[in-house]
Amino acid sequence: MEVSLNAEAWNDVEAGVEALVDQWLVAQGDTVRAGQLLAKVVLVKANLDIVAPAGGRIDKIVVPAGETFARGKPIALLKEAP
Amino acid sequence: MWTYRTSTVVLGCSQRALRASVQQRLAGRGVVLQRESGGGAVLTGPWLVSASVVVPHDHAWVRGGVVESYRQFAELHVAALAELGVIAQPALPHDVARANEAGATVPWACFGSLSPWEVVNDQGRKLVGLAQRRRRAAVLLVAGTLVGKADWPLLCEATGHPEDEALLSRRTVSCNEMASRPIATERFASVLAQRLERALSRAIGAT
Repeated sequence: MEVSLNAEAWNDVEAGVEALVDQWLVAQGDTVRAGQLLAKVVLVKANLDIVAPAGGRIDKIVVPAGETFARGKPIALLKEAP
Repeated sequence: MWTYRTSTVVLGCSQRALRASVQQRLAGRGVVLQRESGGGAVLTGPWLVSASVVVPHDHAWVRGGVVESYRQFAELHVAALAELGVIAQPALPHDVARANEAGATVPWACFGSLSPWEVVNDQGRKLVGLAQRRRRAAVLLVAGTLVGKADWPLLCEATGHPEDEALLSRRTVSCNEMASRPIATERFASVLAQRLERALSRAIGAT
C-alpha cells in the first residue's frame, strides 16, 4: 500500500510544483496503526501531516526527509497488517 | 497579533539543521526559533508585525484548498495597508512562477522569493509573507508584514549568506518606504487586528 499526500491537498496547486518531506516521525520497519502521524511535508509553504492509511509496517521510505516529490507520488510503502 | 522589540531569527520548519550555526553567528545579538510552518527564515524586530489565525478546516477561508487558503488572509492585509495609504496587491498564483524566474531569488529567506497570494508593491517587491500549518483539527495561517526596513545585514550574516543582502533588499519593500508618512508598527497592528476581528466574525456567521 502506498503512503502519499492526499489528492485533495494538490487540488489548487499549480502544475509542476513539488512538495518537500520535512520530517519523518517513523523509520523503515516500524509498526504503525491506522491514522498514526508518519511524516510532515511542506507544500506551498504549508506544513501538512501525512498519516498511516492503515495499520501495518513501514516497508520502505521512498522519499527521505529533505527531498521533494511530485503530485501523486508515494513517499513510503506500507505492508498492511493481516 | 505580534510586534517585536528585539531580533529573533525564525527558521522555517525545514531549516532545523541550521539552528545551531545561526545561533552561533548571532553571537548574542538575537535568538533563534523554529516555526511549524514552511518557508524560509524570517528576522523579527521592531520593523515587523505578524498575525496568527487558527480556523477549523470547514471555515470559509481555508476550505478551498492549500493555495486558496491564503487568498482572503492576503486580501485582508491589502485592505489594512490601503487604509494607511500603502497601495499593494497580492501575487496571483499563476504569476508567481514567472515573477520568481524574472530575477534571482534568495530561497533560504521567506522574503527572498514569492509564493501565491503574498503581498507585493507595483514592482513585485514583497512586503507581506504568508505560511500555514494544517493539522487534523485546524489550520494555522501566519503572516509577517514589513512595516519598517528590516535588518537584512543581520539576517544574512546570521544565516551565513552575507552576499545576499543587496538582493534581499531589492526583492523587498517596507510600508514606510511606500507610505507618504511614517507608520508605527502598533498602528498597523491595530488596523489589521480590527479588520481580522470583523472578517472572522463575518466568516463564522457564514459557516
